[in-house]
Amino acid sequence: MTEPMTTESTDLAKVEEGGSALAPAEHAPEMSPGEIHPHPSPLQYVIVAVILCVVTALEIAVSYTEGEIPDALIVVLLLGMAILKFVIVAAWFMHLRTDMPIFRRFFVIGIVAAIILYLIVLSTLNRFS
Amino acid sequence: MATIEQTNEVGAPASRGGSPGHDPHATATGVTNLKLGMWLFLASDCLFFGAFIATYLLYRGRDTVGVGPKELFDIPFTSATSFILLMSSLTMVLALAAIQRNDIRRLRIWLLATALLGATFIAGQVFEFTEFNREGLNLTTNLFGSSFFVTTGFHGAHVTAGIIWLMSLWGLASRGRLTQKDSERVEIAGLYWHFVDVVWIVIFTVVYLVPQPGPTGS
Repeated sequence: MTEPMTTESTDLAKVEEGGSALAPAEHAPEMSPGEIHPHPSPLQYVIVAVILCVVTALEIAVSYTEGEIPDALIVVLLLGMAILKFVIVAAWFMHLRTDMPIFRRFFVIGIVAAIILYLIVLSTLNRFS
Repeated sequence: MATIEQTNEVGAPASRGGSPGHDPHATATGVTNLKLGMWLFLASDCLFFGAFIATYLLYRGRDTVGVGPKELFDIPFTSATSFILLMSSLTMVLALAAIQRNDIRRLRIWLLATALLGATFIAGQVFEFTEFNREGLNLTTNLFGSSFFVTTGFHGAHVTAGIIWLMSLWGLASRGRLTQKDSERVEIAGLYWHFVDVVWIVIFTVVYLVPQPGPTGS
């Protein structure tokens, strides 16, 4: 978290000095605009996909334990694994891990705003009572 | 601060196609407007899908008529289509990796694979909708029917738009009009594609896998 923020600050500082944050000489050739670190390799993408498959299989297995373990525990496990898959895809496949933090901030703001807004709506309509 | 504003106008439309050697993507934020715009769109789309998921949760288990999810859902079938969509995210990033290496042949293969996997997911959704309709569930049957078809239907519409986008990129690549310098166009399409994937991760869990309330009064 600290390192990307520092890099972004450095980029902005360069802009303030009159230069471009995207000057070609300041990035490695394989880096596209907005990247801080190089994207993962194809092998890393495959490993991430295998992890996603395993988590999905676990999700489905947990959903079949209905009646054997409390529903509340099933819901917690399923939501936890869904969040894990969401974060893995966003971080590795959408490159939020390696791109500038500004993208992550925009996306997180959207997600957090949606969660807060609709929790308020559901509470107002007595969904949790 | 004044310097930032001067630099920012580099990214304005008027400066596009400027002098040779001048980076047309340079902006004060250090990111391209196209990519930033896509992330802003995705952030707003979180609210769009959030509305449908919240509505589904609001109506969940409140039906007194018609068939419900317990009688209709075929978890093994939907798990298979979810797995297919998840794997399409892998082929999408492999397409991006290919164009970044200037490997246009593999780019075409992976783009086509992604579009085909997406089309398979949509075919599964059409089959599911048809089966549900045969069982007596439609958009107006009950609260579950309305919220289910609208939520999953809008997601399916997003996937369909993504397939059209991918096929247009495949067409450009096949005509030699997509090269390594255009890799950002593939990356932007990829961001959209991965977003529909993460939205399905949430919908699959919330709508299909979370234990359903008791049977409806069918």
